[in-house]
Amino acid sequence: MKLRFGRILAVVTLLGLILAACSGGSGDTTTTVGSGSSTTTTNIGGEVSDLGLPVVDPLDVVGGVDIGIAGSSTVFPLSTAVLTQWIDEGGPEYTIDSIGSGGGLERFCVEGASDIANASRAIKDEEVAACEAIGRTPIEVRVGSDALSLVISLGNYFAQDLTLEEIATAFSLTSADATWADVNSAYPAHPIQLFSPGADSGTFDYFNEIVFDEAQPSPILNSIAEIVGEDDNLTVVGVSEDGCTEGDLASTCAIGYFGYAYFQENVDVLQAVAVDGVVPSAATVDDNSYPISRPLFMYTAASVIDEKPQVAEFIAYYLNNVNEVIGEVGYFPAPQSALQDAANNIKAAAGWE
Amino acid sequence: MTTDRILDLDREGSSLRKRPRPGELLIRGFLFVCGAISIATTVGILYELGKESLLFFQDDAVTFLDYLTDTVWQPQAGSFGIWPLVLGTVLISIIAMVVAVPVGLLAAIYLSEYASPRVRGFLKPVLEVLVGIPTVVYGFFALTFMTPLLRGILGTSVVGFFNVASAGIVVGILIVPLISSLSADALQAVPDSLRQAAYALGASKLEVSTRIVVPAALSGIAAGLVVAMSRAVGETMVVTLAAGASPRNFDLGQDSLFGYVLNPFESAQAMTGYIVITASGDLSYNTIDYNSIFAIGLTLFFMTLGLNSLSRRLVKRFQEVYE
Amino acid sequence: MTVEAPERASRGNFPEEEEYRGLLNRRTRNARLFQAASLMALTFAVLALTTLLYTIINDSFGLVAVVNENQPEDIVAGLGYDPAETSLADLSYDELVGLLQGAVSSGVGRRLEREQRFYEDRLVFETDAVWIEICSSDEPPPGCTAGLRDGANVFSLVQERVVVPDVIAAYELVPSLLSPEEFDAEVAAGFESGRFGEYTPDQVNIEWRAWFSMTFLRSPASSIPEVAGIRTAIWGSVWLVVITVGFAVPVGVGAAIYLVEYAKPSRFNELIQTNINNLAGVPSIIYGMLGLAVFVRLLEPITSGAIFTDGVPPAENGRTILSAGITLGLLTLPVVIISAQEALKAVPDSLRSAGMALGATRWQTVRSQVLPVALPGILTGTILAIARAIGETAPLILVGAASFITADPTGPFSKFTALPIQIFQWTSYPQVEFQKLAAAASIALLLLLLTLNAAAVILRNRYSRRAQ
Repeated sequence: MKLRFGRILAVVTLLGLILAACSGGSGDTTTTVGSGSSTTTTNIGGEVSDLGLPVVDPLDVVGGVDIGIAGSSTVFPLSTAVLTQWIDEGGPEYTIDSIGSGGGLERFCVEGASDIANASRAIKDEEVAACEAIGRTPIEVRVGSDALSLVISLGNYFAQDLTLEEIATAFSLTSADATWADVNSAYPAHPIQLFSPGADSGTFDYFNEIVFDEAQPSPILNSIAEIVGEDDNLTVVGVSEDGCTEGDLASTCAIGYFGYAYFQENVDVLQAVAVDGVVPSAATVDDNSYPISRPLFMYTAASVIDEKPQVAEFIAYYLNNVNEVIGEVGYFPAPQSALQDAANNIKAAAGWE
Repeated sequence: MTTDRILDLDREGSSLRKRPRPGELLIRGFLFVCGAISIATTVGILYELGKESLLFFQDDAVTFLDYLTDTVWQPQAGSFGIWPLVLGTVLISIIAMVVAVPVGLLAAIYLSEYASPRVRGFLKPVLEVLVGIPTVVYGFFALTFMTPLLRGILGTSVVGFFNVASAGIVVGILIVPLISSLSADALQAVPDSLRQAAYALGASKLEVSTRIVVPAALSGIAAGLVVAMSRAVGETMVVTLAAGASPRNFDLGQDSLFGYVLNPFESAQAMTGYIVITASGDLSYNTIDYNSIFAIGLTLFFMTLGLNSLSRRLVKRFQEVYE
Repeated sequence: MTVEAPERASRGNFPEEEEYRGLLNRRTRNARLFQAASLMALTFAVLALTTLLYTIINDSFGLVAVVNENQPEDIVAGLGYDPAETSLADLSYDELVGLLQGAVSSGVGRRLEREQRFYEDRLVFETDAVWIEICSSDEPPPGCTAGLRDGANVFSLVQERVVVPDVIAAYELVPSLLSPEEFDAEVAAGFESGRFGEYTPDQVNIEWRAWFSMTFLRSPASSIPEVAGIRTAIWGSVWLVVITVGFAVPVGVGAAIYLVEYAKPSRFNELIQTNINNLAGVPSIIYGMLGLAVFVRLLEPITSGAIFTDGVPPAENGRTILSAGITLGLLTLPVVIISAQEALKAVPDSLRSAGMALGATRWQTVRSQVLPVALPGILTGTILAIARAIGETAPLILVGAASFITADPTGPFSKFTALPIQIFQWTSYPQVEFQKLAAAASIALLLLLLTLNAAAVILRNRYSRRAQ
């Protein structure tokens, strides 16, 4: 929760005045949905955010309707941060499942059992087809960006800046006696150790796409890389404790990769590698100069919004507030244009002008 | 049971005929249904797994023969040989049993033969806590305690960051109560008269325990061992965290048997680890990688079936029945 | 089975005096060694347990470095008091409410007011018109009728919302006790490496924190580690255990009774037996797949409660506690059956024969003679089953346990989460505070397990004493 005394006081007063003015009913945007004999209405105040979306007050969202959100474990921390704030401000208590992008899109497009799907990759054509088959045309909502960071230990004194080719060479080494000199003859011949998530992980998929141009099978799987299961914290431990020391050519120097959040939390024991001279940061992710940054999405559908207008309200709240929490979670804001597109998509689907 | 013949009274004396008791029939029916639920479970599992496995085997990239004989498991490369994953599971289970059987059995013997009832009543539930510790904690215990220990003793060049040995030892610790509790119960159930008779003949406690009580309790002990072994084969979280996620692909012609293929100090993904990671990962459904988990599940099922039948047969051979 | 006669004994004769004594000594020595070995085995197991518990407890308490977003002294000074004389706790109720007003967003303030009012005569965040409207609606919020907040309540709110403590580094229990100065050094190093962002060393307070605390047990899940708790997860786990045991124990004991007492040896019953033994070894995730296909999808009308209500079903789909509970029940059923079988088989046949001889029916004999004697063994199986059910993660994920949920389960048709899932989630977060929370949640899990087991163990001890 951010705290700015004077500003919050001013906003509170302003909102209070607006609410007092609007409680009469004039200037409201009302969404009415008839379901059988009952009618659900949510009053959305006339105020509009920077993105052109209505400012949703979670307290006013009609409860009693449950919204299921499921999908990527990468988007999960971001969505829970926004949902925590939503619940804190009195919104209905929705739930989020972390079952992977594939699982989330399956539950959304094949089973039709969830209302929003989180994904750390774009939806595939087969999944779009499956969605349409059950009457859902997916709406893409870009919510943020993640920078895949390559990390080395603090004792590593030579690999702070690598080119994509060097990275590709490193992650395809197959000999157990491989050293950094095999990556680039200019580097000292420390034994090299690699860490990578497995082929089931979206992080792996994206890394493979950028570094190896989506090679199937990925050379990483045939290399000497230690394949880490679900938990990127293991890569943190493996890389930071490699014992790489200048002057001791027998010491192993390790390299691994994961989402930026893990680097941000461990900046005291790891260094981020600059890829082709570009370090991962908010600026380089925003202007796309960092080559390995990937988009984070949520998907919903117009038919879902028709049935449950709260979905649109939640996504509107999400887009309005996501940039407040995204830094803490460890990701980067999506480019403003992408956020605006997402906002426009939701406005169209919800029927707000 | 011989008591059946005693009840067979309808030859004569119809006044002695037992009254028809519908309650008995009802109860018997209910109990039968309980037994049948287990059959229904198996049928359900086989059907569910079989249906999806069929999708897997129908794919052009996989042949059944390859699946059974290939020694490389790399879905991305189109290799679907089951042996690397089986190897991982078998290695971990063997190490686990090597740790758990002596510890569990000896602990059980101590609990039932040497310990006083109060100590037994206290220690048995304490050991059972071992089963209740979340397996995630065991996984991290293997990573943060066991692996550094092994690497410290044997050197970091011998023991890898992920290795089968620490996963196996930790799984062994996890299943000790399964062996000790069930065996202790079985040992305690052996009638005291047998022990007393042996003591009367001058046997020491060691002889009584190993030569009389254990054979008498063998059925119960074997049950405990089977449960433990099955748990070791089916354990998921510990092996996922500590044994790594790369299958030990090998080539029998090229790789050394003890240096690489059977090396316990390198990483090797187990069948259960692969299933969990793939099922909760980011792969799309109905891809061949995803459907492979059902085939592996089916294989696991038949593996444990084989193990169990074998052990049952062994137990029958060595079992001593009293009273 | 006879005790083997000592070796080298001539037929019909005992060995000579020295030989005899030598053999006797050797046997005694072997017996002592064996006793020592079995005691060592027991000790090894207990040691392993202690080490595991140590790692869990070590992570659940310790020193933390806390940065307050607003230092209490600055807040007090901002109100015009001298920080040396007045502390935050000395402020009046009105002043505290005023601080809260300035700190929280209107949304949070209104939610707080709707839960419990601050004043009787005036509203702080809400407008009167809206308040009257919501209090006269069909479902008025609790604040309309509940009592007022008191000073302690508002003070803790001020702590949480105005001071906003942020844990930036955490230390383990034993090092905190033995060498706290090392933590200071670690924090200082953290500032040098830039790990703590814009915070400065003078903002940091080092204090003790119990990650496992009553607040932790009572709070719902949150993405903020300082306030996250496991209330929802505990309720979920309790519900799951109740349904699992309620399904697995009667069915399991019933099946065991059938197999041991009623079934005649035949190929079919052999098959059932092998089948049960096999099912005990099937990995839990396969049960998860089965549960997903059968209970979540196929039996959705039942497991979502739809057939019990005519209108809106209690749950939207089959991902409810009921599905998960029965899935776990099927998972633990084989173990319950096997241990119940062993317990029943261990009951001497003489008891059965005696019962039958007196004219009792099979069921009467079983119920009054066999079962009580077998009860301790059956309870062992129950204990192992409970332990397994409480700790399972993989099948619950498949059957639809939510990874993030803040609403407590209200019945068998509720969405849910469970302690192992929460623990697993938290361990994969990069922030170290979540690792601590995971350790604290493990303690909660173990305590839950111990409580449930204690009941079963007490019962077991009582019945085993009676049998002897």
